[in-house]
Amino acid sequence: MQDTQKIVNFVTTSNWILLLFGGMIGLMMTPMKFALGIILGGLIVAINFHLLKNTLKNMFRPEVVSEQGRSLVGNVLVKYYIRFAISGMLIFLLISKHIVHPLGLLAGLSVVVASMFMATALELTRLFFKEAV
Amino acid sequence: MEFLVGSVWAAGLAIGIAAFGCGIGQGLGLSGAMSGISRNPEAAGKIQVNMLIGLAMIESLCIYALVVALILMYAHPALKGAIAAMGGH
Repeated sequence: MQDTQKIVNFVTTSNWILLLFGGMIGLMMTPMKFALGIILGGLIVAINFHLLKNTLKNMFRPEVVSEQGRSLVGNVLVKYYIRFAISGMLIFLLISKHIVHPLGLLAGLSVVVASMFMATALELTRLFFKEAV
Repeated sequence: MEFLVGSVWAAGLAIGIAAFGCGIGQGLGLSGAMSGISRNPEAAGKIQVNMLIGLAMIESLCIYALVVALILMYAHPALKGAIAAMGGH
């Protein structure tokens, strides 16, 4: 398996693990609204990440790129904005109806970013150890 | 009243500027990735993966801006105080 593919797999898996741990810690140590914010925010971004991955996998195959050229950018961006609008509506409902605590929601929405930072830290550590050996 | 007007202005500017920046960033990233794949189709896998991570990062920035904008409009921490100062209207 390619190194780059490993990173994506790591990010995908750690998204769910972080969401699970974050949700559990939230449920045990914070008020219900805060915990709900972590869980729902994490779910929104984790599902978003999956959809983005599928879109890019389907669109950016060499044969499709050579066939459709630059019009592909438009297709990807249209799908992106549809996804963004749906997540925006969900976040709007969660905040405007006061279903979740905004800070909990922010923490939940950071799940993917945290996974990426973890993946970067892991790769850097590997790199340093490789150089040291 | 100025408080509420200021909040709405800030929310609009926050999401507007963020969407503008994210749109430009994503467009440039996608365009570069497509050029790369067209020139070297064998590198498509690597480019795809790096692009996925880049786009997810940019997207989360825009989502943060959206959340901040919505907090400013619907869940501002000082909203109750401001409404009380206005006489409850």
